[in-house]
Amino acid sequence: MPIEYYFSLALVMFLCGVCGVLFRRNILFVLMSIELMLNAVNLVFVSGSTFLKNLDGQIMVFFVITVAACEAAVGLAMVIALFRRYGTIKSEFFRILRG
Amino acid sequence: MGLTSSELPFIVDLIATLSKIVVVFLIGLNVPPIMLWVERRVPALMQRRRGPNRVGFFKWRLWGLFQAVADAIKLIFKEEAVPAMANKWFFHLGPVFSVFPAFLVLSAMPFGEYIEVMGYQISLVAVQVNVGFLFILAMAGMAIYGVALSGWASTSKYTLLGALRASAQMISYEIPLGLSLIPIALVYNSLDLTEIVKGQSHFWQWGIFLSPLSFIIFLVCMFAETNRTPFDLAEAESELVVGFHTEYGSTKFAAFFLGEYVSMFALSLLCSILFFGGWHLPLLSRENLINLTGSVNLAALVGVGVLFLKAAFFMFLYVWVRWTVPRFRYDQLMKLGWKFLLPLGLANIAVTAGILALNF
Amino acid sequence: MSDQLVFWGLAGFITLSSVAVVTVRNPVTAAVALVINLFLLAGVYAFQGADFVAAIQIIVYTGAIVVLFLFVIMILNLDPEHLRSPRPRIWEHLVLGVVIAGFAYIGYRFLDSLDVGKVASNRLPDNTYDVAMILFSNYLWPFEIVSILILLAIVGSVAIAKKPK
Repeated sequence: MPIEYYFSLALVMFLCGVCGVLFRRNILFVLMSIELMLNAVNLVFVSGSTFLKNLDGQIMVFFVITVAACEAAVGLAMVIALFRRYGTIKSEFFRILRG
Repeated sequence: MGLTSSELPFIVDLIATLSKIVVVFLIGLNVPPIMLWVERRVPALMQRRRGPNRVGFFKWRLWGLFQAVADAIKLIFKEEAVPAMANKWFFHLGPVFSVFPAFLVLSAMPFGEYIEVMGYQISLVAVQVNVGFLFILAMAGMAIYGVALSGWASTSKYTLLGALRASAQMISYEIPLGLSLIPIALVYNSLDLTEIVKGQSHFWQWGIFLSPLSFIIFLVCMFAETNRTPFDLAEAESELVVGFHTEYGSTKFAAFFLGEYVSMFALSLLCSILFFGGWHLPLLSRENLINLTGSVNLAALVGVGVLFLKAAFFMFLYVWVRWTVPRFRYDQLMKLGWKFLLPLGLANIAVTAGILALNF
Repeated sequence: MSDQLVFWGLAGFITLSSVAVVTVRNPVTAAVALVINLFLLAGVYAFQGADFVAAIQIIVYTGAIVVLFLFVIMILNLDPEHLRSPRPRIWEHLVLGVVIAGFAYIGYRFLDSLDVGKVASNRLPDNTYDVAMILFSNYLWPFEIVSILILLAIVGSVAIAKKPK
């Protein structure tokens, strides 16, 4: 399997994630799209590691998965706190930083 | 590149793998009826009563074994009611998530070393995974979705609460389960289940003697992962109106119980593989067995029988504990998992690693 | 031949589930689509011989992170009607499709011209052992820092999500 097929698959996943972050009006979906992007990057790392016969890519994946877990946990805690404070998690309500 | 790493020619490998998958599937399907019978007769005999022994076939009662058949027929013919506001997709999909991880775990278990058919050595694992019990931990994680999705899809407050509690319990006990298996990997130097059993060929090398604390932790987590008493708060008949599978009728209810019994069987097999020597008899080594029976296939068959006997003991233990020990309250359960078993598991790893490092 | 079949099957379903995560309106459906996506991605990792990473992906990502998503959806007891994003306008769908197709095509042509050759055709033997050897020797320092990071994340998320007294 030529490596560019794997890279194209990762590209498609990453783009779905980007479109999800841009077009979704709900914070939970935005967080899910961010996870999708992180997984696309993981796929690139693993494919590169298999191609170059170097295990550093897989170590990087190990760390990316761990940091993504931390980020998801903190992000979801914030979603819970926001829901408790504002009663909604639609992103159009969170405009304080919007100048 | 291929997914198989064996030396067999492709067509032999294909036929062997397909037949092993079918055999494992049939074994998995046959366990719940037997367990249904055990679940009723054994506690009855323990409580000095008879249990169901009326269902018969031409005056041939067979100690109530036909009761399981009658149960199955009844469950199939019951009416299945779907709640009106339920999410149709997830309502029908919930039991699937409960059943399929159990069968996947069963497919990764080794039942023996190998048999020889027509000159080819065929290993007795349906799916050869190099990461052995990490795969099993992964499937235990997938089983959570069955509980969570089916409880949520029924759109009833009781089922949602039951589902949340049950899935929180399963997640909490997955961690000590994994932690208790790490010392086993340390002691036997491999993650592959076949290698671990090969390392237990002598009686004194059994897992329970080399790592007793992890056996205790594993036993407790085994009960918690399958939602069995004393940890069955989420699905008990008197709590929360049966919990997350209240709204499920005939075949889906049967599917949940199929998933539960198959995962009980899979975890019992895992327990006997990791801690009790798998398919090795205590005092008879494999070479002696091959010499005694004169054939590798017969020795493998004896090994499979021994493995099933050990797993059957643990299934009996499941039923025995169910009717002996009272139920934990939910906060006691969570406290046990997080505040007691987790530090114990970590200490176990540290002590085992320390002992191994000092010896070599 | 079987390699092609496995790869195209996995890739097709991964693409479908990625698009599903981004387009469906019900959050639980999106979470289940994410689960399918991550599970199949672990299959791709195993296909390339990275068994340990595949197992870790299933245990951590599908078995813990997405379950966390599901818990939040259920605990907040969000009414599906309340949660449902407004029906995306048709131009959003079109933009999504065109962008994905365009970039995938451009990416493929660009990468095709790089002449990078085939992915290694032999499975790395005993992946777990090799990964562990490197992780605990070269990467010991990041490993310890990441474990402190996890501790901080746990304490932080509990502190943020606690009910105010």
